[in-house]
Amino acid sequence: MVNFLQLLVLGLLAGGVYVGVGVGFGLVWGVLNIVNLAHGALVMVGGYLTWTLFTRLGLDPFLSLPLDALLLFTIGYLLQRGVINRVIRAPLLFTFLLTFGVNLVVINLLLLLFKSDFRSVTPSYAGAGLELGVLVIPFTRLGALVVALLLAAGLAFVLNRTRTGLAIQAVGADRDAAQLVGIDLRHTYALTFALGAACAGVAGGLITLIQAITPTAGEPYTLQAFVVVILGGLGRVTATVAGGLLFGLIEVFGQSIPGSGSVYANAIAFGLLVLVLILRPQGLMGRLR
Amino acid sequence: MRSRSSVLLVVAALLSFACGGTAGTGGTSTGATITFGAPLGLTGSLTKESTLTQQGYDLWVDWINQQGGINIDGVKHPVKVKYYDDTSSANQSAVLMQKLITEDKVNFLLGPYGSAATATDAAIAEQNQVPMVEANGAAQAIFNQGYKYTFGVLSPANKYLQGVVDMAATLTPKPTSIFMLSADDNFSLEVANAVRDYAPSKGFTVTLQKYKNGSTNLAAEVQAAKAANPDIVMNSGHLLEAIAINKAAKEYKLNSKLFAYSVGPSTPDFINSLGKDANYVYDGSQWTPQVKYKPSFYLTESQYVDAYHKKYPGAGDPDYHVAESTAACLAFQKALENAKSTDPKKVRDALAKLDVMTFFGQIKFDSRGINTYKPMVVEQIQNGQHHTVFPTDVADVKPMYPTPAWDQR
Repeated sequence: MVNFLQLLVLGLLAGGVYVGVGVGFGLVWGVLNIVNLAHGALVMVGGYLTWTLFTRLGLDPFLSLPLDALLLFTIGYLLQRGVINRVIRAPLLFTFLLTFGVNLVVINLLLLLFKSDFRSVTPSYAGAGLELGVLVIPFTRLGALVVALLLAAGLAFVLNRTRTGLAIQAVGADRDAAQLVGIDLRHTYALTFALGAACAGVAGGLITLIQAITPTAGEPYTLQAFVVVILGGLGRVTATVAGGLLFGLIEVFGQSIPGSGSVYANAIAFGLLVLVLILRPQGLMGRLR
Repeated sequence: MRSRSSVLLVVAALLSFACGGTAGTGGTSTGATITFGAPLGLTGSLTKESTLTQQGYDLWVDWINQQGGINIDGVKHPVKVKYYDDTSSANQSAVLMQKLITEDKVNFLLGPYGSAATATDAAIAEQNQVPMVEANGAAQAIFNQGYKYTFGVLSPANKYLQGVVDMAATLTPKPTSIFMLSADDNFSLEVANAVRDYAPSKGFTVTLQKYKNGSTNLAAEVQAAKAANPDIVMNSGHLLEAIAINKAAKEYKLNSKLFAYSVGPSTPDFINSLGKDANYVYDGSQWTPQVKYKPSFYLTESQYVDAYHKKYPGAGDPDYHVAESTAACLAFQKALENAKSTDPKKVRDALAKLDVMTFFGQIKFDSRGINTYKPMVVEQIQNGQHHTVFPTDVADVKPMYPTPAWDQR
């Protein structure tokens, strides 16, 4: 029972990172119809900024998160406006190719700047945690979960309660109608991508607290974000949150199967993904479009 | 465009003329340059380890060219290494190996990084009958194929954590249980299975838990280890997983008397990433800067460490990936000298018969081509420094045991 509770906690904590990575990816996919293969690389850009600020200036990793968001927002805006916008109406394969290329460029720039060494952020409270009886909740992971949920809430607020957010949703719903009512398409596209990238930056900052990073460490997260968004359902922030937490739980419970069970944790997650696609293609909490 | 390429051509011609000129004025009997080919993961997930491998190769290339080259029957042949980036993909590595042989016409092959790429490359070396000496593929699966042209200078995978088991059996209070975590790739499983088979003979019980190769979230596995409350926690994986497990062990208060990881702790990154949490961790190491062998040629351990510091300032001490890669070059050097020829077949035979002592230890291959003659050593990180703790005749300090609980450090 205790073990079950601990695993539940572990799963939710692990899910926090997936929520962080998933929300930005889901936004870009939902509105721009771009499966951004460079998302993981952008996550790592945020990670390296947090690492740099921590090692050079001793800035607490949680405090550097707004700066991650700001940097990535800028990069995202320019990237969309300058590069990705050129293929925005092209077939899916073109956007795949382009974002894959961006992925390679970003990773190799990071390699040039930071080399391939493993980098890690270890503030004084790393490894410390709440102990409730035998239950252990590490502070950094708890903090990461809380920030990820706040990030999702913030994104949901922007999308549902601000003019910009409503414009983004309008473009996502019907591009031509949105243009007819006077929404600047290119600017809105760029803003959407920038918001997605900003979320990636924050997720990257959180990841440095949890694992050692290298320029290529973001790649698995692109795949995981993809699964999270499909599990939850495209186009709604709350759905991505549910998908992320669920993915964390599946991973942790899968891994806890004794012997070689954990080898199949991914197989379980992807098996579920296929089931969802067959039985509920709009995702567990998604709307049909 | 046209004018630029013609300018480049002229420059290239001038350069080659200039280079030829200096060689000519030297007046020594300089033979043709011997070219080695090596695909390495200069980008992708194995960039770190591949860079260390490249450093090891380059250290020797610099040294041998300072000597004028490899002395083959009285003629000194300078050497160079042609590298390609295999993007850390084993398939790509094999493609590039083939390209090195057929297009670049390299004379000999140096191994890539990692057991997976080495296995695919060994098949290419065999098909083309070009000798390959590799330093970074320890899985015995590579050497159980009956290949004749692949040689590995490092101790095979099954030896990686055996030393730690041997050492643990000498400690008091004697630990009795091992919780073995293992990634599910070939190499890691060989290491883990060897412990599972060997440790009971030393009085240990072993529980094996496998996880997906490349995992960064290993909290559930660490939780499983905690539930089993073992004396020893071992991991057979790579640097990435070793860091993840050590972090999770602290976060979830997994307190064991001994933590030992197959790969990872020997690299500077492990200490840089974990800070003081890296202390007390053991690993099985192919080589440490403290070992004392009596090399018959090339540099001694301390000269080697100095040469490394000079060429790569700020990189810390060379770890075993660097040293074993240099050792692969040394095997080629001696084999070429002994063969008195650059004929691939003759060099292969010379490699098969090779038996030399180097700063890396003895290099001698068994009938399968792997070096089963060199022992592994056990390292422990103490106060942020690597120390050799076992076997006792090469150790520089005693093991710090038992490992204190996380909240008592």
